[in-house]
Amino acid sequence: MNSRINFWYISSLIVPLVVAIPIITIFFSFFETTSEYLTLLKNTFLLEYISNSIFVLVGVLFLTFFFGVTSAYFVSFYDFPGVNFFKWALILSFAVPGYIYAYSLTAFFENYGTAFSILTYLFGEGEYNKYIPKFDGLIGSIFSISFSLFGYVYVLTRASFLYQSHNLIEVGKNLGFSTKRSFFKIILPSARPAIVAGLSLVAMETLSDFGTVSFFSISTLTTAIYNAWISFDDLSTANQLSFLLLFFILILFIIENYSRKRAKYHQPSRGFKSIPKIELKGKKSTLAFSFCSMLFFCSFLFPVFQMGYWTIKFPKYFQDIDLWSLNFNTLLLVFLSSVCLIIFSFLSNYGNRISKSKLLNYLSAFSVTGYAIPGVILAVAFITFISWLSDTFSSTFGFASFKPLFIGSVIGLVLAYFVRFFSLSFNGIRSGYLKINQSIDDSAYLLGYSKFKTFTSIHVPYLKNSIFLVGVLIAIEIIKELPITLILRPFNFETFATKAYSYAAQDLLEAAAFPSLCLIMWASLFILFVSRYILSDK
Amino acid sequence: MRKLFLNILGFLFIFTSVTAQEVNIFSARHYDSDVQLYEKFTAKTGIKVNVVSGKDKALQKRIKAEGKDCKGDLYITADAGRLGAFQSQGMFQKGASSAGVKKIVPANFRTAYWTGIAKRARVIYYNPKTVNPSWNMTYEDLADPKYKGKIVIRQSNNVYNQSLVASLIKNNGAKKTETWAKGLVSNFARKAKGNDRAQILAVAAGEADWAVANTYYIALMLSGKKGPEQQAAAKKVRPFFPNQDGRGTHMNISGGGILKHSPNKDNAIKLLEFLLTKEAQEHIVNNTFEYPMIDGVEPNKLIAQFGLGFKQDLKTKVSSYGKLQAKALKIMTESGWN
Repeated sequence: MNSRINFWYISSLIVPLVVAIPIITIFFSFFETTSEYLTLLKNTFLLEYISNSIFVLVGVLFLTFFFGVTSAYFVSFYDFPGVNFFKWALILSFAVPGYIYAYSLTAFFENYGTAFSILTYLFGEGEYNKYIPKFDGLIGSIFSISFSLFGYVYVLTRASFLYQSHNLIEVGKNLGFSTKRSFFKIILPSARPAIVAGLSLVAMETLSDFGTVSFFSISTLTTAIYNAWISFDDLSTANQLSFLLLFFILILFIIENYSRKRAKYHQPSRGFKSIPKIELKGKKSTLAFSFCSMLFFCSFLFPVFQMGYWTIKFPKYFQDIDLWSLNFNTLLLVFLSSVCLIIFSFLSNYGNRISKSKLLNYLSAFSVTGYAIPGVILAVAFITFISWLSDTFSSTFGFASFKPLFIGSVIGLVLAYFVRFFSLSFNGIRSGYLKINQSIDDSAYLLGYSKFKTFTSIHVPYLKNSIFLVGVLIAIEIIKELPITLILRPFNFETFATKAYSYAAQDLLEAAAFPSLCLIMWASLFILFVSRYILSDK
Repeated sequence: MRKLFLNILGFLFIFTSVTAQEVNIFSARHYDSDVQLYEKFTAKTGIKVNVVSGKDKALQKRIKAEGKDCKGDLYITADAGRLGAFQSQGMFQKGASSAGVKKIVPANFRTAYWTGIAKRARVIYYNPKTVNPSWNMTYEDLADPKYKGKIVIRQSNNVYNQSLVASLIKNNGAKKTETWAKGLVSNFARKAKGNDRAQILAVAAGEADWAVANTYYIALMLSGKKGPEQQAAAKKVRPFFPNQDGRGTHMNISGGGILKHSPNKDNAIKLLEFLLTKEAQEHIVNNTFEYPMIDGVEPNKLIAQFGLGFKQDLKTKVSSYGKLQAKALKIMTESGWN
């Protein structure tokens, strides 16, 4: 029994605890006094906030389901013009964060916006504002979030379609089903676990979104938590609301976990071959092509064009930007965070693997909820916790304050990202680990390998691809990350995301265009790097 | 490679680099022109200016949590209410209104803890093709049923609106302000949404006849910084300075105060005083289109063209906004102002 308590065990115990800091902080209110915020909220807008949250969630789930599954269906089973292009082009949508999509949408459709300019250019002066559709903030939020997140559903659904050992459409035909009937009766149910997994990721990101909805002035549960805690110093209300949010998320986790188990059940272990695609002709081919083009255009080209158009139209904002330091800062954060996350995800996974402790398993599962906590709440929780810890140590043991080490420093930023993205990295490495059979470890031990040597000489090389993939996924997330960076950064420290935000905050979206464009370019570059892993046909 | 390594090392230990000749600013104002101004200050005095900008409340949270380890010297933000609220939490120390500052900034726009740097007015905009305000129109008039379906304004969570309503509470009392807010909400042309500029654009596009927004937004559009379309749109709209027959038009400030644990207090005072020099004020008014805080500086001509002789509300101290903002928000929310 005692042999279990070793280096691996301890390290995999500590990491989830660190990652659970924000949740612990939210639930244990050490600090502040309460106000009347909850009473006010209950009497006025609480129901509206909750219904906004649910409306956005349902709208986004519906749209991402429709976009993701339809496009995955087309590119997996059919051959039509451009299919090999769309296969990877559709994942570029990951490069556009929801808030930048929101900037583009607003810029295009607002009174005297880009749409107005285009109409004026084409047809001369006129009163076009009346005819340009005006987005309600709710609809705008739903579209922005959906276009930036449908990629999850697309990637996972497509992978699930590919794992089928034979063409499901052929099966349907043999059973005498129409194409439509095969789709609803065979294809859709078979991909269900993957779709649900994709949708639950979408749901978590949607519930924790703050940037997009606040740009559209839509108040959701996250807004209420933010107001309660940050504007009214009312921690107990913030706790109750966070509890509600975590409750939503917990339900999603349970659904996701459940569907994962089913997914494992469905996967053929080996020996599948690629599906021969059915060639589409005529109208059907046009339909598939138009759908995928529309999706690619709306999710990626539209925001890129809007930002590019502004960069060219307002060249003077271009000069104000210190490209060297923006690139340096962004990449520094990406590099340090990816390395830390990957190393510790490895340790945790390996610890879990060799100790087989239930406690560790639960703890790891609990700690990954950090992903679902809105970044802005997490950042404040982080600051609050560090300052509490430092003050406690100072007053109890007379230590010097270590706040400056963690608040307003690169180390603090990396640690906060660590908490935020540990789930992504941990699960990424875990899915690689699940493919290494336990018998491989046993053989290594028989050959006299130590645990450490098994880890370095067998697991690490075996998981090279997972490491690469996870590293790049983290990179994409960190490039896009805004609220944590904004609050925790050192003096005179800007990334592309904070620079774009700071222009947007002074109502100069035109100037925000160039840093936004750089952000999208970097993220796209990383995506293209790993596209063959994300879209791996094997 | 060596440079890169040193750079990385420098960033990791950025928190240790405290030299005597610097001043650290936390700013909820994001203007690039502010940064240019800080550079001018450095060139003049040799004092380096370091900045972290961000959202107002979140920055305040960080400053409070850092406590006496906070390296910040100055906190700069727009809206007097925010400054007042932060002051009431004991986060400023006295000193912002130095003898030099007192001489040039009117008493209404400063306290012992913070001082205004620039002024803005929150005014009524209208479409001159469809309506024409009488010379003595007031904020109070906006609740009149004759404006039903004609007014646009942004949401109640906006701090400028909270300060405006705070000033109404101060002058008319809570009860009357409640009735006023209900009347105003029933006159909305659409659900409150968008920023101040979006309200002005809505009037230009004919969605409404009246809007409430700050003065500098129309100048920003007229300047062409938002492109020729918005420049043309802005020309279709006029600002109107209300309450000329009474207390005057609602004024607000951008301002700053010295933080409680400021390690470079003297430099912070020097910077505040610099921001109030003629040179700096001219830079501010020509970039942000706010009104100058000191005498002897003209606003930018895009703002000046709307008249300089209007009566400003100097009766309502801007320091009263902070105390009444929470009440203002409560009244607005309860009247259905989303």
